[in-house]
Amino acid sequence: MSESVAAEHPSSPFVEAIGGRLEEWREGYVRMALTLEPHHTNPNGVMHGGVVTTLMDEALGGVIASVRGLETVSAAPHATVEMNASFLAGARPRRSDRRRGAGAATGPAGGLRGGGGAP
Amino acid sequence: MTDERRRSPFSAFIGTEMEELREGYARLSLTLERRHTNPHGEMHGGVITTMMDSALGAALGALRGEAARRDPHATVEMNASFLSGARPGDRIVVEGRVIRLGKTIAFGEAEATRNGVTLIAKGRLTFAVRNRGE
Repeated sequence: MSESVAAEHPSSPFVEAIGGRLEEWREGYVRMALTLEPHHTNPNGVMHGGVVTTLMDEALGGVIASVRGLETVSAAPHATVEMNASFLAGARPRRSDRRRGAGAATGPAGGLRGGGGAP
Repeated sequence: MTDERRRSPFSAFIGTEMEELREGYARLSLTLERRHTNPHGEMHGGVITTMMDSALGAALGALRGEAARRDPHATVEMNASFLSGARPGDRIVVEGRVIRLGKTIAFGEAEATRNGVTLIAKGRLTFAVRNRGE
């Protein structure tokens, strides 16, 4: 969303490269968004599963940082060791279509719908 | 080997190369650049999950052949364990193997290595297979 939200918080070059945006950041909650484009798809024209797992990883890495505090994180970074994602429905590039990834420190990512990901 | 028509736009966008593709098996590689990293300068987990999803999707596509074009499969579940990290300059190889193909479901496993030596991630993926018949 606002440039300032993104500017004040750590973001990943990988997420920037694929077009993910930080929409909200507060202690215990982070929301990412991405507007699907043709280069986010698999050979069937559907969103690639890697798009959603990337946003989940970013949202959860961010939300843990929001709780630990940025100084603590930069002194002792955390790292994903396990991820389990269920893809409930797919998504396609469309002008009005957006994928959102939200992370809450208390539980698994909420408000998420995964996408089918053939190659 | 590589069927460019079936290349995944997202996989190509992040820079993966298909090294080998045969029935039930695919191997992808990527040399990490800065654009593949997280805020700490390490490989972003999404790079590996993307490569695993692509490898298994392609391996299953090669196994199913024509049926995959008629009735595409889709990932319904992915479980990845990240054992070790990687940094720009490292070469990542992901191998995907289909371990069972049923009528409506398929299972696969993926392994990622760094510079051909160190195992850095393991994954298990489940696909829904549409089967409308001939």
